[in-house]
Amino acid sequence: MRDKILYGLGVLAFLILARDIYAIARFPAEANQGYAFKILFFHLPAWAAAGTAVTTALVTSVMFLVTKNFKYDATAVAATEVGVAFISVGLVTGSIWGRVIWGIWWTWDARLTSALVLWLLYAGYLMLRHAVEEPTQRATFGAVFSIFAFIDVPIVYFSIRWWRTQHPSPVFFSSTGSFPPDWSAVMLWNILAIVMLAVVIVAVRLRQEETQREIDHLRRLAHAF
Amino acid sequence: MHWISHLTLLAQVSAEDISIELARLQRNFQFLSYGFAAAWIVLTIYVLMMVGREGRLKREIANLKAMLEERQKK
Repeated sequence: MRDKILYGLGVLAFLILARDIYAIARFPAEANQGYAFKILFFHLPAWAAAGTAVTTALVTSVMFLVTKNFKYDATAVAATEVGVAFISVGLVTGSIWGRVIWGIWWTWDARLTSALVLWLLYAGYLMLRHAVEEPTQRATFGAVFSIFAFIDVPIVYFSIRWWRTQHPSPVFFSSTGSFPPDWSAVMLWNILAIVMLAVVIVAVRLRQEETQREIDHLRRLAHAF
Repeated sequence: MHWISHLTLLAQVSAEDISIELARLQRNFQFLSYGFAAAWIVLTIYVLMMVGREGRLKREIANLKAMLEERQKK
């Protein structure tokens, strides 16, 4: 049943994405930015998916510390790994957009720097988990580190409001934005589709994590014999 | 009267201006394709890594189960 729901969700996400890509291809070039503007139709959804994933990691890390249930730890690691993949997509697509519009691949402004720090923090979380052998200790250190890493998420989100940055001011969910309604609709559908795709990948990764734990259990049994 | 001002503007545009604008749009389009390709390449690499891990986990669990069954028989 769980597999059917996952496949259904994945197929639905790809159908929405296919429809959106068709719609995006038909949009005219933006007045100032030209065609490069269309990169944002994947840049923003990638960040939305990354935000959803790391928020899931935060909630499940707190739940692990409260309940000591390893199911939450497995969810946290699955969500974080997928989050890192989507943060990478956000950083790479943003850099390519910046090369066309600003003429530079990278600048050390508050938004970009805090986003890179976010990637480093969550990559560090994954490395930390590899470094600790004992499962309870690994899960506890991981949960504490994940909560600590999440402090950077609001800094990334609000950096363009708090400081003057090279990165543009918010276009969506903001009074200063001026996005045409039909473009906004496609953007929102794309956000939904990419978040759905991220949910499917997290679920698959979670199953792998459960299998890994079963393997660890069987190994312990093998040693006991 | 709008069309007159449009015609006046058009008369001021040289062939060189048009070719510069076309080159700008071409470059712009090239980077758009880089952006889309990069997004999908990163995700595809991650999914392929997951597929590889899935195969390794299946082999590992099958081997362990077989080993445990064998030991139980003994």
